[in-house]
Amino acid sequence: MPINSSNINDPQLIERLRDKATCREAFNEVIRSYSEPLYWQIRRMVESHDDANDILQNTFLKAWTSIENFRGEAKLSTWLHKIAINESITFLSNKRKRNNVPIDDESSMLINTIEADTYFDGDELKQQLRKAIAMLPEKQRLVFNMRYYDEMKYEQMSEILGTSVGALKASYHIAVKKIEQYFDELD
Amino acid sequence: MKGQDILSSINHDSGMTVPDNYFADFAKKMEAQLPPQPWESEDPVVMPRTFWQKIRPYAYMAAMFLGIWCMMKTFDLMSGDTIIPVEKNSQLMSAINNDAFFNDYCTPTFDESDVIDELYDEGFDPSVITASY
Repeated sequence: MPINSSNINDPQLIERLRDKATCREAFNEVIRSYSEPLYWQIRRMVESHDDANDILQNTFLKAWTSIENFRGEAKLSTWLHKIAINESITFLSNKRKRNNVPIDDESSMLINTIEADTYFDGDELKQQLRKAIAMLPEKQRLVFNMRYYDEMKYEQMSEILGTSVGALKASYHIAVKKIEQYFDELD
Repeated sequence: MKGQDILSSINHDSGMTVPDNYFADFAKKMEAQLPPQPWESEDPVVMPRTFWQKIRPYAYMAAMFLGIWCMMKTFDLMSGDTIIPVEKNSQLMSAINNDAFFNDYCTPTFDESDVIDELYDEGFDPSVITASY
């Protein structure tokens, strides 16, 4: 389910967002265009549909309230993805603190969420892959999801995450190796 | 199946789903939920100022000064240092003009030498009296 927001004409949309007369209408268009890619980005981080729904709302609210700060220097999609990722990380951190989960045991919290998830129609293999991804460190999980599921280019990932392309490639490679090892150990 | 093959067999599909019409409904809800931006709220209507609203600060200031003056006057009177001229004190004047009252209450308290000293201080010349006799 790769992200496909290439049909969105960013420069024109940004112009309309800057114009106070057309800002709201343009932002409604942003919601319609970006809610799906952002949702999947968030959902793969937090695993639960309800949590992803809440975070997605917060993401758009945050973007709307700080729309004046968006100068159009970065791509609109990059800016929105950054907000969504920050919101997801903050949410997971707060959830971990609320449930008294140690910082190095976030994976068990995510695995519990995966097992309780009702919005899932995949097979056992896909479920196992979700669990394997949940066991990765946060940054590797992000990189793997963006690359494997969203098929995002490394250059765009680099803009969103503020990491060099080389580091991202290495991170993805390590993540793939860990997942393969996880499945090899299952056999 | 080896780990390497599993990733290619899953084919980038996570198996996660969403409720029916979720994205369409979400967009509608989200659009309705956006708070108004500062520039979207209507400009406040400016009412013309009435005459009283214009002079009110000056009136309040004048009242404040008047209050301070009255307060100072009251304290001044309360302190008792104010000297009212004898001519303006009708009660005292009527008492002085009444010879009986003066002889009964004032004369016995006078010391003659004090009266003479005071007369000399004021420039009294005894030769004026002796010359008249």
